[in-house]
Amino acid sequence: MITDIFLMSLDALRSHKVRTFLTLMGIIIGISSVIIVTTAGNSVSYFVQEQWDIFDPTAILVGVGTASDPPRITFTESVFTNNDVKKIQDLPHIKNVAPVGIVPIRKVSIKEGFLKWNSAPGGTMYASTSDMLDILNLEISEGRIFQEGKNEIVITEATKELFGKDQLLKIGDVVYIQRIDKKNLRAKIVGIIKESSEGNILTQLTTPSILGPTDPYYTTFIGSNVGGPLNRITAYIVLYATATDKTNVDKAKAEILDYLNSGKSDASKYKKEKYDFVLITQQYIVERIDSVMGVINMLVTIIALISLAVGAIGIANIMFATVTERTREIGTMMAIGAKRRFILQMFLYQSTIIGLIGAILGCVLGASGSAFIVQVLNTYLKDIGGTAFTGIINLNFSIEWFGIAVFFGVLAGIAAGVLPARKAAKMDPVVALRYS
Amino acid sequence: MFDKIIIETHSLTKIYKTGKIEFKALNNVSLKIKEGDFIALMGPSGSGKTTLMNIIGCIDRPTSGEIFLEGQNLSTLPESQLAEIRSKKIGFVFQTFNLIPNISALKNITLSMIFAEVPRSSRETIALELLKNLGLEKFTKNLPSELSGGQQQRVALGRALVNNPSIILADEPTGNLDSSTGIQILNLLSSINKEGKTIILVTHDASLKKYANRIITMKDGEISEHR
Repeated sequence: MITDIFLMSLDALRSHKVRTFLTLMGIIIGISSVIIVTTAGNSVSYFVQEQWDIFDPTAILVGVGTASDPPRITFTESVFTNNDVKKIQDLPHIKNVAPVGIVPIRKVSIKEGFLKWNSAPGGTMYASTSDMLDILNLEISEGRIFQEGKNEIVITEATKELFGKDQLLKIGDVVYIQRIDKKNLRAKIVGIIKESSEGNILTQLTTPSILGPTDPYYTTFIGSNVGGPLNRITAYIVLYATATDKTNVDKAKAEILDYLNSGKSDASKYKKEKYDFVLITQQYIVERIDSVMGVINMLVTIIALISLAVGAIGIANIMFATVTERTREIGTMMAIGAKRRFILQMFLYQSTIIGLIGAILGCVLGASGSAFIVQVLNTYLKDIGGTAFTGIINLNFSIEWFGIAVFFGVLAGIAAGVLPARKAAKMDPVVALRYS
Repeated sequence: MFDKIIIETHSLTKIYKTGKIEFKALNNVSLKIKEGDFIALMGPSGSGKTTLMNIIGCIDRPTSGEIFLEGQNLSTLPESQLAEIRSKKIGFVFQTFNLIPNISALKNITLSMIFAEVPRSSRETIALELLKNLGLEKFTKNLPSELSGGQQQRVALGRALVNNPSIILADEPTGNLDSSTGIQILNLLSSINKEGKTIILVTHDASLKKYANRIITMKDGEISEHR
């Protein structure tokens, strides 16, 4: 009997192909938009996490600012001293710690023949310790790392072309770095940094083109110059640290915070009252991305549910029209022996079939749509990322979404069909037969 | 055999209410119909003949009075059992044919069998046989809209007959047909009647009287003439 009713419903849908198709569209659009957005969203969020994972997951950024949620680092306060760096290095769960001194460069010059100079605008220069390489996940491909207190630098592969491709810089060359305060500093290139084989946007952003020792390149001081050089202490805006292990990040973070706040640290003396010590971990950033993605997903889900509801209203509308249009048929069927339950089921199955087919087609369209979008995003990322960008977004289907989509599609179909089907089943056959 | 009472009514009254206005469609109708009768139910429109037919056909209930079909009191039966009686004991034929427009002639007939719970495996065979007897074997796959009026009415007759009912209720079955086609349909009804089925033909065409063995004429909800 159920099969018969089902086949009857299919017949009815088949005989109104355009109407059925238009009704289906409501559900298809609803379902496919959920699939597209969740799948594309998932894929992007995985991609972003992957990108961050290449960056060291044990990394901790130490600064001063507001310890709110989200924490803010004020990149203007130089408070961390070399002494602090040493003390933090000795904490049990710290693998490495390095100060980050940003050296603003006006230009880089080389001597080219007798009394002839060639200069180029410099890139970013960090003054730090050799631990910086570990923290930024960089390797020396040629030569060696700089030595503290010597006029030595390491440069990236790309920086070799600073003066053009026909005049590559090489190990042993001497350049002159002019800082923003117009002070010229001699620098001998002793090593080349290998750019990460898994080139990605983030290392691109965080890798300085020149890396040198804080002494002699970095000279940001706390206090005044009055009282002579003995009162001047080199201080840094931020420190980069790494924990001994991924699982120890929180412990390492607590230890650093304890030390900084203990009063034994130099930073606690130099920090202004209104600021807190702020530690941002890699994990925190990933969590933030996750929660942002979560909010986006939730909004999109709401929008999708609304469009699904609109689709369901579309079905209900059509079903009411169909029931009215078929009034005489309903009367006839009752006269030749159809029970009210049969009429009810016949219309309910119609709307359910629309919901089901709509959901399945919506899944197919959603899957191909999200594949297309991910492809477009990849092309776009390649354009903005250039050659350094080799990561791609992988399509990330979550199979359970298909199940959920089908469930909701069927649910929408049933919900939309209940009232029209009841209307049909409640008809008085005598009145229905007279309908024209 | 011809003396067996198949339908019996006692003071059937049917009142329709539209707002505050009451309309007595049937007033105290008592009659007995014997198995194998061919009844012409006549009278002007509004005389109550269709209401009487609807009550006999179990799609309407009387306001008061009783009706027995093969000895069973219909007034007290629940809806679902009335539907069962409609599917197994009664065959409806309408003036406007009332075939389901989106399914084939064959499916229109098998539809009736679905309601009578005939197993799916035997439905098609029965329906094809019936269509052949009605001279419609070439049109089994056609939609109603592809058939002429006479062909449609023959399909409708097939649909009414397929569950082997004891009563055929035909409401102006020739009203939408030309006279020669109408005669074909009435001849079919006659031969069905000769096989022992009770036929109630609702009509106001006096020329059809000759097919009936009994004529009941109604006026203002009452039986005015009975012979």
